[in-house]
Amino acid sequence: MLSMKAVFAGYGGGNVLQSVDLECAEQTITCIVGPNGAGKSTVLRVISGLLRPSAGEITMDGEAIGDQAPDEILRRGITQVPQSHALFPAMSVHENVLMGGYLIRKNRTLLRERLDMVKDRVPLVASRAGDHAGNLSGGQRRMVEIARCLMLDPKLILLDEPSLGLDPRSLAGVADLIHALHQEGTTVLLVEQNVRLGLGLATHGVVMEGGKVRLTGTAAAVKDDPEIASLYLGGTKAPPLNSPPAGQGTETTSV
Amino acid sequence: MTQFLQAVVLGLLIGGVYALMASGLTLIFGVMRIINIAQGAFLILVAMITWWLWHETGIDPILASVITAPLMFGFGWVVHRLLISRVSGESSSMSILLTFGFAMVIEGVLDITAGNRFRSATPSYFDESFRIGSVSLPKAQVFGFLAAVLVLAALYYVLTRTWTGRAIRAATQNPSGAALVGVGAAGTAALAFALGSATTGVGGSILSVLYPFFPASHYDWISRLLGIVVLGGMGSLPGALIGAGILGLAETLTATYGSLSWSTLVFYVVIMVVLLIRPQGLFGARLREDAA
Ligand SMILES: Nc1ncnc2c1ncn2[C@@H]1O[C@H](COP(=O)(O)OP(=O)(O)OP(=O)(O)O)[C@@H](O)[C@H]1O
Ligand SMILES: [Mg+2]
Repeated sequence: MLSMKAVFAGYGGGNVLQSVDLECAEQTITCIVGPNGAGKSTVLRVISGLLRPSAGEITMDGEAIGDQAPDEILRRGITQVPQSHALFPAMSVHENVLMGGYLIRKNRTLLRERLDMVKDRVPLVASRAGDHAGNLSGGQRRMVEIARCLMLDPKLILLDEPSLGLDPRSLAGVADLIHALHQEGTTVLLVEQNVRLGLGLATHGVVMEGGKVRLTGTAAAVKDDPEIASLYLGGTKAPPLNSPPAGQGTETTSV
Repeated sequence: MTQFLQAVVLGLLIGGVYALMASGLTLIFGVMRIINIAQGAFLILVAMITWWLWHETGIDPILASVITAPLMFGFGWVVHRLLISRVSGESSSMSILLTFGFAMVIEGVLDITAGNRFRSATPSYFDESFRIGSVSLPKAQVFGFLAAVLVLAALYYVLTRTWTGRAIRAATQNPSGAALVGVGAAGTAALAFALGSATTGVGGSILSVLYPFFPASHYDWISRLLGIVVLGGMGSLPGALIGAGILGLAETLTATYGSLSWSTLVFYVVIMVVLLIRPQGLFGARLREDAA
C-alpha cells in the first residue's frame, strides 16, 4: 500500500533521513521503534506531506505522493496524529474533531455520520464537547487527536507515539481502538517508545537508528531480535546490523 | 457626573470604531504573523475614495462602505497574491519593510492624484447630535459606531460559524495542525488578508466622516492601531476590542479632565504598564514555537 524507497529528508541543515526504505502492506500494523532522534517522527512527517523529501520515492497504492501537499495526501486516505500539539487549543473539542472533517465539509450528512461514529469510538468527544481543547489534560488531548484523525475514515493512519502520556486504562483503550481499526481493514503505521506495547500490537516491526532503517521483519521477529536491545542500550556504538537492502526489506515486511 | 457619563459614552463610541479598524490588523497578524504596516494607508485610501464618491454622487459616506468593503476585499486578495505571499516564509522584518514601503507608495499616489490637503466628508447630519437626557451623542459618531458593530458582528459570525472562519482560526492557533487536517496555508492567508483589508473598507469610510485626513495621516493611524493591538495581544480579536475601548476611553476621559494633548500619552502609558505586567498583552497567547 505505502512504500518508501531511498528517501532522504531534512530540515535545512543536512539530511536527517539517510536513504530510508519502508513498506506498509495493506491491513498491517507496522511499528517503528528506535532511540530518540532516530528520525521516526521525520518519517511520518515526510509521508503526511508536512516535510518534503529531498530525494527518493514515496508511493501510495502505486501513485507517487512525495511531492504532494498535506491536503492532497489526506485525500488519498492518509491521516496523521503527530507526536505533540496537533490540536487547536482555543477551539472546543467538538470543533477540533469537526476540523478533522474539513475536506468533507461540503457533504453534511457524511460529516454528521462520521461525527457520530467518532463520538461512539471516543466517548470523550461527546462528554467534553464544549470544553476548549487547551483545557484538557495531556492524555485527554491525545484521545481527541486520535478521534480527529478518524473523521476522514482513513485507509492508512500514522500515529506518532499514541501512548504518550496515557494512563493504563486510556492506553488499553487506544490499543483496543488500534486493534479494532485494524480488524476493519485500516492500515496503521505507528511510532512507539513503549516497545512491548507497540510490537505487541503490530504485525510488523521496523527498527530505526541515525536516520536509517536497521532492521525490519515481523513484529515477533523484531521483538525477539537480540540486537534490538543493543540498539537501545548500546548508544551510538551499536554494532552494525544486518540492514537489508531495499528489495529484501520489501520482502520481509510483506510476509 | 454628566460630564463623566458623556466622556464614557463618547469614549465607547470611538472605541467601537477603533476596534473595527484594529480588527483587520490583528486578524492578519494572527494568521500570517505579518504586521501589515499598510493597514493605516488602506484606511486613508478608502477615506479618499469615500470622500470622492460622496463629493461626486452625494452618497452617504458611511453607506458607501457597501461599495468600498468588497472593493478592499478584492484589493487585499490581489495585494496578497502579488506582494505579501512573496515574503510569507521570510523573517517578519521583511514583511514590515515591504508593507511599510507599500504604505508609502499609497501615500505617494494619493499625494499626486488628490493633493496634499485635509479633507473630510460632511454629510447633512455631520454636526447634529442625539440627546439622551443630558448626554449628547454626535450623530456621525453614533452611525459610525453602529456600522462598526455591525461589521464586527459579521466578522465574528464568519470566524465562528463558517468553515472559512474555522480554517482561519485553526491556522492562527496551530499552523501545522491546520495543515494536517487539510487547511492550506496559502489559501487561508490570502483569505485572512482579504478579510482584514475589507474591514478597512468600512473603517476608512467611517474615518472620512469622523476625522479630517490627508495622505500622510496613515502614520498617525497605524501607530494608534499598533498600540491597540499590542495592548490587547497580537492576533487576538477580543484583545483588539478591549484595547480599542481602552484607547477610546483614555482619549475622552483625558480630554475631559485634563487636556486633549495628553490623551495619546495616557494611552501609551497604559500600554507600557500593561506590557510590564503581561508582555504578551491582555489577551495574547505566548507564541508556541514547538507546535509540531
Ligand atoms: N523541526 C525540526 N527542525 C530541525 N531539526 C529537526 C526538527 N525536527 C526534528 N529535527 C531533527 O531531526 C532528527 C530526528 O528527529 P525526529 O523527531 O524524527 O526523531 P524521533 O525518532 O521521532 O525522536 P523521538 O523519539 O525523540 O521522538 C533529530 O536529530 C532532530 O534534531
Ligand atoms: Mg518523535
